[in-house]
This record gives sequence, C-alpha cells and structure tokens, in this order.
Amino acid sequence: MSAGRPAPAEVPSGLRAAYVLALALPAVAAPLPLFWTDGASPFALALYVAAVALLWWRARRGDPVRVSDGFLNVVGLSYFLFLAFEIARLHHGLLRSVSHLLLFTAIAKLASLKRPGEARTALLVLFLLTLASASSSTHVASLLYFGAMALMGFRALCRLAVLADFEEAPPEHILRSVPTGGLALTAVAVAALLTVPLFYALPRLRSPFALGPARLEESLSTALTADRVDLETFGAAKRSDRVILSIDVDTPRILGSVLRLRESVFTVYRSGVWTRAPYAKSDLRRPVAPGERLVPAWAPPPRRGAVGRVSIDLNLFTNGFLFLPYGASGLRMERGFPHGYPDGVVQVGGMRRSIRYGATVGSGTPRGFGTSAIDPALVPSEVRDYALRLTGDLSEPAEIYRRIEEHLNAHFVYTLDPPPASGDPVVHFLLRSKAGHCEYFASAAALMLTARGVPARLVTGSYGGETGFLSRSIVVRGDNLHAWVEADLDGTGFTVLDPTPAAGLPAATRRVSWLTRLTSLGREIEFFYDRRILGFDSLDQAAVFDAARQTMDSAAGAVSSWKQAWKDVPSAAGGWALAAAAAAVFLFFGADRWRRRQRLSAPTRAYLALRRLASRRLGDLPASVPPAEVARRISQTLPTGSEDAEAIVRIYCADAFGGVSPGSLQVRELRERLQRLRRAV
Amino acid sequence: MNHPLIPDWEIRITNFGLGYILMCLVVAIGATNTGNNGLYVVLAGMLAAMVVSGVLSRRNVRGVSCAIEPIGEVVATRPAALKITLENHLRATTAQALFFLHEGLPGPLWIEPLKPGEKRQVVVEGVFARRGVVRRPDAGLLSRFPIGLFRKYRRASLGGEILVYPLPEPTPMPEIPPEDARGGRPHPRRRGGGFDIRTLRDFVPGDDPRDLHWKQSARMRRWIVRERDAERDRVVVFVIDNGLSDPADPASLEAFERAISRCAAQAILLLSRGGEAGFHARGVKVPASSGRGQRARILDALARLEPVALQGAPPFPPLRRGDLRRVVT
Repeated sequence: MSAGRPAPAEVPSGLRAAYVLALALPAVAAPLPLFWTDGASPFALALYVAAVALLWWRARRGDPVRVSDGFLNVVGLSYFLFLAFEIARLHHGLLRSVSHLLLFTAIAKLASLKRPGEARTALLVLFLLTLASASSSTHVASLLYFGAMALMGFRALCRLAVLADFEEAPPEHILRSVPTGGLALTAVAVAALLTVPLFYALPRLRSPFALGPARLEESLSTALTADRVDLETFGAAKRSDRVILSIDVDTPRILGSVLRLRESVFTVYRSGVWTRAPYAKSDLRRPVAPGERLVPAWAPPPRRGAVGRVSIDLNLFTNGFLFLPYGASGLRMERGFPHGYPDGVVQVGGMRRSIRYGATVGSGTPRGFGTSAIDPALVPSEVRDYALRLTGDLSEPAEIYRRIEEHLNAHFVYTLDPPPASGDPVVHFLLRSKAGHCEYFASAAALMLTARGVPARLVTGSYGGETGFLSRSIVVRGDNLHAWVEADLDGTGFTVLDPTPAAGLPAATRRVSWLTRLTSLGREIEFFYDRRILGFDSLDQAAVFDAARQTMDSAAGAVSSWKQAWKDVPSAAGGWALAAAAAAVFLFFGADRWRRRQRLSAPTRAYLALRRLASRRLGDLPASVPPAEVARRISQTLPTGSEDAEAIVRIYCADAFGGVSPGSLQVRELRERLQRLRRAV
Repeated sequence: MNHPLIPDWEIRITNFGLGYILMCLVVAIGATNTGNNGLYVVLAGMLAAMVVSGVLSRRNVRGVSCAIEPIGEVVATRPAALKITLENHLRATTAQALFFLHEGLPGPLWIEPLKPGEKRQVVVEGVFARRGVVRRPDAGLLSRFPIGLFRKYRRASLGGEILVYPLPEPTPMPEIPPEDARGGRPHPRRRGGGFDIRTLRDFVPGDDPRDLHWKQSARMRRWIVRERDAERDRVVVFVIDNGLSDPADPASLEAFERAISRCAAQAILLLSRGGEAGFHARGVKVPASSGRGQRARILDALARLEPVALQGAPPFPPLRRGDLRRVVT
C-alpha cells in the first residue's frame, strides 16, 4: 500500500444528490445558445438535456445516479473512438466536436460524483460550456441568456458554497433558503450594472471576433445594394420593418433637413434594373476631408443659426454607401476613409455591417450634386412615346414635370404589390398596370423627363422615420426606404422632385402607439446589441472615452461657470441663497430626526423626555443610570414630581421589558404627567 | 500544532476563489486574443461578480454579532452548555449561509438565515479540550456567502471569560488522621452534619426539622434544635507544586495536569462531605473554608493554575498550625 495523502472520503449519497440538484438547472441552460448557433447537433443537445433531466429526477428521489468507474472508463474510451469518427468522417467542425465533448464530459461528471472536488470539475465543465455558448452566439437572445445564466449561476454557486461546509447531506430547506430571492435578484442586477462599464472599459486589442449576422431579407439586402437596384425587390424591401439606421440631431431646427436621406444616384436603366454609371478612379474624390462640404460649390452656405449636427448610426451597412442628408458637410467617420463620387454619393471602404458618422447640416433648399444624368438613349421607346403623348405640347422643363406629376398622381395607384410585369416593368407600369410603389413612380418620371430632354436621374434613400422607444433618436426602418428624382429644370442644378403620390410617401415623423413601440422594442434592442455589444471595438472604445472626457470637461466648465456666477451675484442674494440652503439642510435633518423619533413607542419617548428633564435638573445623567434610579433622583430633587416620574418609568418598563403596550388612555396620561413635570422643572 | 478555527485574518480566499481568479485570467486572455465580445461580456460579468461577492460577503458577516456565554460550569473534556446570541444588525438584508464554529462542536453548526434586525439565541453543547481561562474564544462565524470565493470569519465575543474547570480524576481519598495524632491546634467547633451535638439553641427558619429537640422544646415551651458538629474537624490544604524544572516538557506538563485533576477530585469530595479545604500552590493561596463557594474558589484556582519555572518560582504560602497539608501529585 502506498504511503502519502489519504484519499478524500467519498461523497455520501445525500450530498451527491444535493450537488446534482444545485447544478442541474445551470447544466440545462448552459448549452442552450448552441441550439441557435448550430454549435452542437440538435440530437446531441436533446440527448444531453434528457440525461440531465434523468439525473435531476433521480437526485430528487434521493437516489442519485452513481456510475461506476469501470463503466465510466469504457464509455469514455468509446467516446474517444466516436470523436475520431466524428472528426474524420462527419466533418462537424471544431466547435461542434468540442461542444459534443463538453456535453459528454458534463454528463459523465454529474453522473459519477465521488468526491467534493468532482463537483468543482463538473462546475468547470459547465462553465466551459457556457463560454462556448457565449462566444459562439451572435444573436440578440444572448442577452437573455447572459441574464438567465447569471441568475442561475449565482443560485448554484451560493448553494455549492453552503454545501462545501457539510460533510453529510443537509436538510433540503437549508439549500432552498440560500440565497433569498430578493438578494439574488439584487445581486445580479448590481452585477449587471457593474458589468456594463467593465465591458466597455476592458481593453480591446483586436477587431471584433464575431459580428451580428446580416439580418436582412434578401429583398432588403438587394435594395440596399447601392450600385444596383431593381424595381421588384425594392417594394419587398419596403415591407420590412427592420431598423436601418437611427438619426440623432443636436437641434430640432434641422429636423426637416434630415428627413430625406440620400444614399445613391442611378443613371443607367435596363429592363427594370437601375445601375450606377461607371466612374473612373480619377473621378473619385478621395478622401473627403474633414470639414469638406458635400454640396455643390454654387449652393449657398447654410444660414448661420440654422446649422446643426446630425449623427447617424447605420446598421445595415452592406455596400459602404452612406445615407446623408442634402447639404451635408463636415463629414466625420468613426472609422474608415470616405470616398466622394461626383454625384455626391459617399462610399466608405471596408465591409463592416454597422457604422456611425456625423455631418453638419443646414436648412437650405436641397440640391443634387454633379452633372451625371440618364442617357436619353437608354429610355425605352414605349416610355419615350408615352412622354411625348403626355407632354408633347410643353417645352418648359418645370411644366413638363408638373404635367407628369399630375398625371401620375391622377391616374396611377400607389401599391407595394404591383401586378407582375411581363417585359420592362416601367413600360408595364405606364401602359398596363398603372400601379406601383415609389420606385415605379420615380423611374417613370425620371425616364419621361429624360425622354423630353430634361437631365434627370433616380435617387434612392430614405424618407421620414419614427421616434425611438428607448431614445429620442429617429429610427428609420425598411418601410422608410424611398426613391425620388433629381432633375435640372432650370439649368441651375439638380432639384429634388418627388412624383410619388402623398399616399405612398412614408410618414415624415410618426409618433407610434405604445403598443407598436413595445413591439418595436425588440428590434431596437437587436440594433443596440449588434451595434454596441457585438461590434464594439477599440475605436468605439476610444469614442466612449472621448465622450466621457468631453462630459467631464463640460461638467468642469459648468462648475467653473457656476463659480463665476456665484462671484457675480450680489452679496445679499448670495446670503439668501446660503440661508435657503441651510434651511433646506436643517429641514432635511430635522425631518429625519422626527421620523426616527416617531418610530419609538410613546412610553419610550416619554422616558427619554424624562431623562432629558432629569439631566436639566441634575446635571449630566450617564446612560448607565437605570430607569428606576432616574425616577428616584427626580423624586429626591423634586418631591412634587415624584409620582409622575415613577408612573412614567413604570409604564416605560412595562412596555419596553414586559411587552405591555399602553392603551390610548395611558398614552394621554403619559403626556399629561410629562407636561406637569416640565412645568415643575 | 493545531490551527485555530477562527484565524486572525478576517478573510481567506478559498480554493474555489483561486480557481475563479485563474478562470478570469484565462477568459481575459481568450477575450483579448480573439476580440470576442461574448467573452468580454462573460469576463466583465465575472469581475463584477467578484466585486458584488466581496461586498455582500462583508455585509453578511459584519452585520451579525455573535456572543458566547456559558450556562453553568464548564469542565474540560465534558459537554458544556453554551448560549450563543446572534443578532443581525442589518436593516434590510437577511444574513444567510452562516456557520458557527467552535472547537467543542463536531463540525460547523448551520445557522438559519437571520432576518433583518432579528436576534436569536441558540444553546449548543461544546467541549473544551483543556482546563484554563478562555478570554478569546476560538469560536465564531464562518461564511462563504455568497458564491464561495472567500471564507469570511467573525470571532465571537465573550461577556467575560470562560473558566474551564479541570476534569476531576477519581482517586481514593487518603484517610484524614485525627487532629490529636498531629498535635495541632485545637479546631474550633463548627456547625455541621456530624453526629456529635455541639449545643442547643432556638429554632430559626432554615433549620432542619429533624434536629428539633422535642423534650427540651416541651420543657422550654419554644422550639429548640440540636446544633451538631461538622463531620470533619481537620482543615485539609491541598497543595500542588506548580514549579516545574522544565515547564515546556510534555511529560512534566501531563503529570502536572493529572495532579490538578486529582486535586480537583479530592477537594470536591471533601467539600461535598462538609469538610473544610484550602488550596496552595506557588504564588497561589485559597484560604480554607467549606461549602459550595469554596468548591468554586478551589476549582477557579485550579483552572487558572499555570506551571512556572522552578528556578525563581515563588514559595508556597505558609500553612496555619493544625492544617493538614496534602500534596497532590
């Protein structure tokens, strides 16, 4: 027999059951995200959950599963064979193989607890499962998972901490009593509050490992592909309620200017598909310098006093084209290098899915950028004929447009479900269906204007938005996507023209009902999770610190301005302010003291008053002087008050030590006796 | 050497706590190297949990006071009743997951959660290993609350001191020779439970009715009782030599402790028979007397008796004439 440390005693059956019961709930919850991240096969997960349920059931019955060492060895070796087969043949990938191994180990550990240390090993395996789940999940539901695991983990750890001091199984009520529900919730809530700053302060040395999945319907993705847009998918995209971006303005005065955001300009139309005109590299103005105005040189500068700053959080940043208000200047990106095209479209390099940028916006008339327009040769002949029939008698571009707009508004129907087109969709729209969404109207107008020799082009972007649920930001969703026309009507540059009927225009700013807001809350949380948690990186961190620094600076500035203001106020006013502050403090503490006194019973208050009277009469009265002695001393120096003092002490002792609460008559008697004593003293 | 149950440090990190910190490091390395924000959330949560755990743990243990008070006599190695008074001073928080530790208890004693402001008294049976004076009890509260990262201790307070009497070791009581054999001073005749009648006197409340002298009472027309002599008429002074040539020698100490146990047994026996006993040791003197008060005084002295180095040890107190000196070894 080998000498050395004796082997630790085996865990008794009851204690083993308690370990399993404490760990079962987090054991079930730990691998849940693997369901939606496809990090483990559903069959393996179902098997795992069933096994944990079995262990839990047996433990509840007081007969915990105890797998023998021999059986465990055989199963373990068999699993290694399966692991080799899984890697070599099934090609599940590393994450799945590791997850399956962890699931197996967790079950094996829970089913074969022999020593207290093995409960810790089981806990470690569960923690590794949690890590695998947390690190692989990019779904917003991970937030719920983190919260649930924190609560269940806290409860399990509390109970394991209690079990650590028991050699035998404790009674069940002991385990249930720890932790109390209120404390567990408070602890988790406080920990969550601490987690937020810690999460944002922990140093980031690498770009985010995993980004939010592009949660786009195919139509929305296609619609936002800014170098190509087709008429059919644009309507489908407009049916989406996905949050595309959120807008913050620093002053409400520029709100009207930021409602129409321009994303891309199209000048090439072929069979229902719009594409951008190819630009030579030399055309690119790269990069857009900070402070550079993104408006034509001839456009009037924003009026002083009507300038504000807009910040845009673009979530669905698929192709690097920015949504920008007309007349934006001073573009500031949190990352990347913006490239400006001659038509005013700005593109940012990189494939990030979300980005934040800001610009200065004036409240001037919106004007398009550059000179590029649709080539008249690309206008379908049917559209040209239609335009000639409609506006052949007119020569003024403005009148031509007015006629086109009136015609479209009067004879065409706005719908997100236009009838399926055979052939060119715009031709079908004009000649047969007479129904379509904004892009149909804008395409038809732009092509007809071009056919009549007016330089025009199609512009996509967004219009309007809704006030957010969690903030005052304007949230732009898929149904805010919009298309319109820019045309040079008078030779002074491109003017914004919107031929879509009023019924088809997205609401400029809508205040939605509370119910709608609540239903949209999930989307906003999703937006926040993708943008601020999953995609948080070192540049975000720098921005956070910068914002914190600016806040501190402004706070310091506010304090110094208060100091200055204090110096400037007349001394009399300062005195009054000081007196008011002192009165407020006095009232606060006085009220607090009164409240504390009210908490004492009437006999105790009377006895304390009696002691104060005695101190006034006899000098300092130490706290060690008992009640009877207080009464005796008062009787000695004030014989007339002897009876009152003794009565007060008697009632006090009966209340404080005998548990006999006085009735209302006795309370009145106490008050009267105390008043008599006060008068006598 | 035995480790104290309640260490001087109020807080100790547990093995689980060490593992937790290690896991924090591992997750931190993983998060930093991969940039995985899921891992950053887990890491931030783990660090926050450490802070919350520290604060909760501190409040949980510091908010509860624990006082020990013995009920009755405490004899070494024998179960003694101890009253533990626990009070939760926190206004809004329940103190939970508390264990009471004491060397005399077979293991940690679970304390049911204490509600805010609750005061609770628990009586436990504790065993003190050796006689002596306990001024700083190795007892108190232990908690791993909330998640077992740290063990927090709070030593129990004592109202005074606990005197642990030596366990009397039954030994045959050597016969006490009569006073005449020593030629000592005549012993004053004392009241007692012996057979010889000392005098007759008037009855006073508290006298044993069996001592009524019926004939004399009838004659005197008032109640007269017999007053008897004490059963023993010799004063015995027990002596223990607490001067040891090597006070650190375990064998000598063991012999010393046995002498104390024997002395306690003999003194208790003598006093229980109504005898008069005293106790002397180097620098220690308990004047001879009888009754329960004397029993407590002698046991008190025995509990407090400490060995001293023979060299430079104080002398024994002088013996009064006629007192029988009995050296207990």
